[in-house]
Amino acid sequence: MAVEGDPRASANKSLGDAVDDLPIFNVDNLQSNIKSIYYSRTFLSIIGGVIAGIWGFTGFTGFIFYFIVMAAASLSLAAKAKFSVHAYFDSWSRILVDGIFGGLMSFVLFWTFAYDIVHIF
Amino acid sequence: MAEDLVLDTAIRDWVLVPLSVVMVLIGVLRYFVSKLMRSHQAPDLKVVKEGQVILRARNLRAASGFIPAKSFRSRKTYFTNEENGLLHVPKGQSQNAQAQMFSDPNLAMDMMKKNLSMIIPQTLTFAWVNFFFSGFVAAKIPFPLTQRFRGMLQNGIDLSTVDVSYVSSRSWYFLNLFGLRGLFSLILGEENAMDDTQRMMQMSGFGFDPSRSLSAEKDGIDIIQHDWALPKMEKRAEDALKKLLK
Repeated sequence: MAVEGDPRASANKSLGDAVDDLPIFNVDNLQSNIKSIYYSRTFLSIIGGVIAGIWGFTGFTGFIFYFIVMAAASLSLAAKAKFSVHAYFDSWSRILVDGIFGGLMSFVLFWTFAYDIVHIF
Repeated sequence: MAEDLVLDTAIRDWVLVPLSVVMVLIGVLRYFVSKLMRSHQAPDLKVVKEGQVILRARNLRAASGFIPAKSFRSRKTYFTNEENGLLHVPKGQSQNAQAQMFSDPNLAMDMMKKNLSMIIPQTLTFAWVNFFFSGFVAAKIPFPLTQRFRGMLQNGIDLSTVDVSYVSSRSWYFLNLFGLRGLFSLILGEENAMDDTQRMMQMSGFGFDPSRSLSAEKDGIDIIQHDWALPKMEKRAEDALKKLLK
């Protein structure tokens, strides 16, 4: 089920066998999917940081914006996986929660950068 | 206390941007240098063998449900047998392996090279930043922090009434250090993301890997309870067919 021309959420279907206690996953595909998620989140944190800086968010508003962006990302990733997460990943946490705090530092950096350049010029 | 300082545009042009650009360039440079300097270590036969044994044992553990109980047990004894099982490392030998790892000159050189290639650019850049860019406010971070952070973030600025959001260039350096990891992982391809912190963690756990992982695998295989999945497969096939026929 390869989706043409979409680098994000590469639809490498890792064979999720729905047997009671025997999940079987093709490790390479699983890792490639996880990497796609990581890249998307990193990219979105950077872009989100620049947007937050340009719009002049300060303090908590900025962090809330970051979490909103991450939540939107999780939602769209889940939609991309057609909501059958177990066909592509080994657990819900991968697609929903993983990597949120990793992107936080990049977000803060680019947020500070853009904010300074635009507002404290 | 929240009066807005007006900061010189020249600071933007000559401090923030150059510092970030320099750090990105140094990161890229470091990546290529480490690629060039990677000494090709001829893999040690013993280490490769042990690695493969561990892989086999792991596959056995993962796929234990697919083979009948008797085969599983025979494979299990093959691995964990006390006398000549593959995973059983007698105590004396295991200590030796670790000591050997460390005194092996090639390996030590490799680790030292990796460490140095990490530490030197960081130290140099930090010294450069301190020398040239100290003593003035460099940036304003968009979120407020408490007074406790003042000493850390404003080290060159000796006024105590300035808002803590106005930071010195040293903190801009640290912010860049952590924030650019994500950027590096995007532009340099996969494995260069968390270079510094990840490598430091790897360094600490590196030398002991082989013998410890052998005994860990052995314990894993000993623990596992064999649950043959084939009988269930018949039932599953029956259910699937029934669904199809409906």
